[in-house]
Amino acid sequence: MIPSTLRIVLLIGVIIYFIFILHFLKNKALELKYTLTWFAAGFVMLLFIIFPHLLPWLIHLLGVESNMNGLFLLAIAFLMILSMTLTSIVSRQMRKINRLVQQVAILENELNQRNE
Amino acid sequence: MNKILLIIPAYNEAQNIERVIGNIIENYPQYDYVIVNDGSTDGTYEICKHCGYNVLNLPVNLGIGGAVQAGYLYAKRNHYDIAVQIDGDGQHDVAYVKDVIEPIIRGQADVVVGSRFVKKEGFQTSSGRRMGITILSILINILTGKRIHDVTSGFRAANQRFIDVYSEDYPRDYPEPEALVIAMVYGGTVREVPVIMRKRQAGTSSINLKRSIYYMIKVSIAIFIRRLSYGVRREKGGNKK
Repeated sequence: MIPSTLRIVLLIGVIIYFIFILHFLKNKALELKYTLTWFAAGFVMLLFIIFPHLLPWLIHLLGVESNMNGLFLLAIAFLMILSMTLTSIVSRQMRKINRLVQQVAILENELNQRNE
Repeated sequence: MNKILLIIPAYNEAQNIERVIGNIIENYPQYDYVIVNDGSTDGTYEICKHCGYNVLNLPVNLGIGGAVQAGYLYAKRNHYDIAVQIDGDGQHDVAYVKDVIEPIIRGQADVVVGSRFVKKEGFQTSSGRRMGITILSILINILTGKRIHDVTSGFRAANQRFIDVYSEDYPRDYPEPEALVIAMVYGGTVREVPVIMRKRQAGTSSINLKRSIYYMIKVSIAIFIRRLSYGVRREKGGNKK
């Protein structure tokens, strides 16, 4: 059970969080595709705030004694998944950049041959 | 007549490149060559341009794997029958290219490695490095059942089929041992032929002792993963048929 003052603070926090994401999206500083995880996380947080019994129930289900520890566990798990997603995106981009660089070099070579 | 391409990756080889390419043009006109300048900062590209060499200029540094792959891509686009990788620092003697491509011409191999250790002549590298090479060689032997001694040798040749494979799938950094495993999991025959290597004439090797632990771990994991994904890849290939 989360104390009601904390719930209000958290609610404001989550609202600011959503405003931030929308702001970045509006300025095209974030790709919508990559913010879906962030949106999902925001809605989960919102659920936990609106239904305050949900979080302790879930944490108990996981077998964690203390509510705070359970919360940290969930938060860290989320962050780890997120950074794995990011690493995978970086790797995929690396492959694409690799091919682009190679292709540029080959086209430059062909252009030079033609001009000679 | 087979069309043969020498792929010469060059990263900061300004001191060596003229001698290496001059030798090829003068003494081995039967081979085509392409230099892959991997974002050098010492004017390697300017020298190549000035001398009118055939060069692929990578606008940013990709590392040896990306550079070699660019060479394979070039070989594929220009329909070469055999591509031979040669270091740009003069370690590899072009005279041995004919030995390295021979098993491919005869149809006995798909990928051929020029090995320092078959005859144990010429420059043999330090004992620490040789130990690392032996460990990787044994690991590859366990995983693929095939014993290649000089798994880190960058002197190698590939036939048309593996020019295609490598232009699509080539490891990025420290690629040599993993590339052999790629060849084997794609069903290729890998052969080793003896060559004599020189100590590099100028510049420093890309692998210093500090990096060798990282090298061993990275390469071991890489070839292990390669072997693991073998079954998956084979199934996919089977479904396509």
